[in-house]
Amino acid sequence: MSLLKVENLSAGYGKVDVLFGISFSLLAGKSLGIVGPNGVGKSTLLKTIAGEIAPKSGSISLQGKNIAGKKPEDIVRAGLSLVPEGRQIFSGLTVTENLMLGLTGRKDKSTSKIALEQVRQLFPVLTSHAGHQAGMLSGGQQQQLAISRALLSDPKVLLLDEPSLGLAPTVIMDVFGKLKEIIANKTAVVIVEQRAHLVTSFADETIVIRDGQIQAKLTPEDAENEELLRKAYFGLGA
Amino acid sequence: MQSILDAISLGGTYALAALGLGLVFGVLRLVNFAHAELITISAYIMVVTNDLPLILSFLLAALASTLLAIVTELTVYRRLRGTGPAIMLIASFGLSVGLQKSYELIFGALPRSAAVAPWMTGSVEIANLNMTISSLVTVALTIVILIAMGYLVDYTTLGLQLRAASSDFKTARLLGVRSNRLITSSFAISGVLAAFVGFIIVVENPQVEPMFGLNITILALVGIVIGGISSLRGCALGGFIVGFILSLLNTFLGNARVYAYSYLFLAVVVILLVRPGGILSKRNEMERV
Repeated sequence: MSLLKVENLSAGYGKVDVLFGISFSLLAGKSLGIVGPNGVGKSTLLKTIAGEIAPKSGSISLQGKNIAGKKPEDIVRAGLSLVPEGRQIFSGLTVTENLMLGLTGRKDKSTSKIALEQVRQLFPVLTSHAGHQAGMLSGGQQQQLAISRALLSDPKVLLLDEPSLGLAPTVIMDVFGKLKEIIANKTAVVIVEQRAHLVTSFADETIVIRDGQIQAKLTPEDAENEELLRKAYFGLGA
Repeated sequence: MQSILDAISLGGTYALAALGLGLVFGVLRLVNFAHAELITISAYIMVVTNDLPLILSFLLAALASTLLAIVTELTVYRRLRGTGPAIMLIASFGLSVGLQKSYELIFGALPRSAAVAPWMTGSVEIANLNMTISSLVTVALTIVILIAMGYLVDYTTLGLQLRAASSDFKTARLLGVRSNRLITSSFAISGVLAAFVGFIIVVENPQVEPMFGLNITILALVGIVIGGISSLRGCALGGFIVGFILSLLNTFLGNARVYAYSYLFLAVVVILLVRPGGILSKRNEMERV
């Protein structure tokens, strides 16, 4: 059974429709990439799944339970966590305080200490900078903090909105390396990215969104086919 | 010395009022004008239950202001959430006026008075200095409350969630912070703070009428703007500064004390020109103000 299933989802802002009939599904321990030009609705899709935006129609189910239109705080408790675009760490709080907030949505509080230890092992920088203000961390460290914070709620599905944004290439490879470890632990991952080549080669499957609709589905093998990528991404002729 | 003590005492009282306003603003981006009526109801309850032991009278007053704060959140503000700041602001005006009129119906338009804690109106001599008990008690009470609030904000889960929500409520919710619970808690705490403010004022001024809490609330609002509306510490500091300056102006201006507010607002303008986001302003203070 699919861990996350999105069917015929339409969403937008007020009277402006952004997404039209989006459908996909995701199994445990698998990854899905979402690519497309600016402003096509990639972030809107993640926000709708995470409960920040109410869908206009369609369904979203997590482990067979409908989560469409539920509050973000309930969705995180149901097992889905979003790492928002730009990290959105609490820059005035310490690294530890940011992590403690990540535990808020965790159902099983008895394993909080173990979970904290696990994310600290995954991202050692969190231990060495524990008492620092989160705003003082580098971009890559902030991304690690944002991912750790989301992992602390024990999500079955982790959504990441542009995790490579503003990061140096070596740091991006570091972050994606850690994501591989997270996926290996049976957490399903959905990544929205502008870098089509990066995410297509990384994810088990990648969907291309243009004009609010899924225009193409790509496999990791397609990452090497520049023309196919260009055509899928921009809708240009091959 | 007494003048300084009075100034600290008034500053502390305004700091508590500003803190109550700042708590609600932090989570809801709402300037809650009806906070004045929370102060007023606590003062009314203290006057009408004056025959009871002081602690019981205060507990009833705190219960009333806390319940009223929660009821206003549940019945008015929660329903209007998402409609935009202008509508919320107008609703808080409407609620404020509506509650004033309700008090008029319940308690009458004329002031209700009773000597609340009359022992506090006396004075004591410490190190050859004569000081009023009310000022000493107010300063002590304010210090205790501010320390307790500091502990709550800095060392408890609720405090951490309040700080996170004040900074970015959307992200806090994405992490599982329950918005309704947090907002209701903020209103409840602001209700308790309003009760302390009501108690402190009613001891000095036992004439309670429907607009009893309005003056301090407006000046506390000025305080949170100059202190830094995005930070609870800024709110408390701003409230303190307003109360402190106002008290000193009233003492030292003599017959010219009618101009005290003019000088106060002149100081406010100067502070805002130098620090537009408030003394303890943060990154997004302009947008928030």
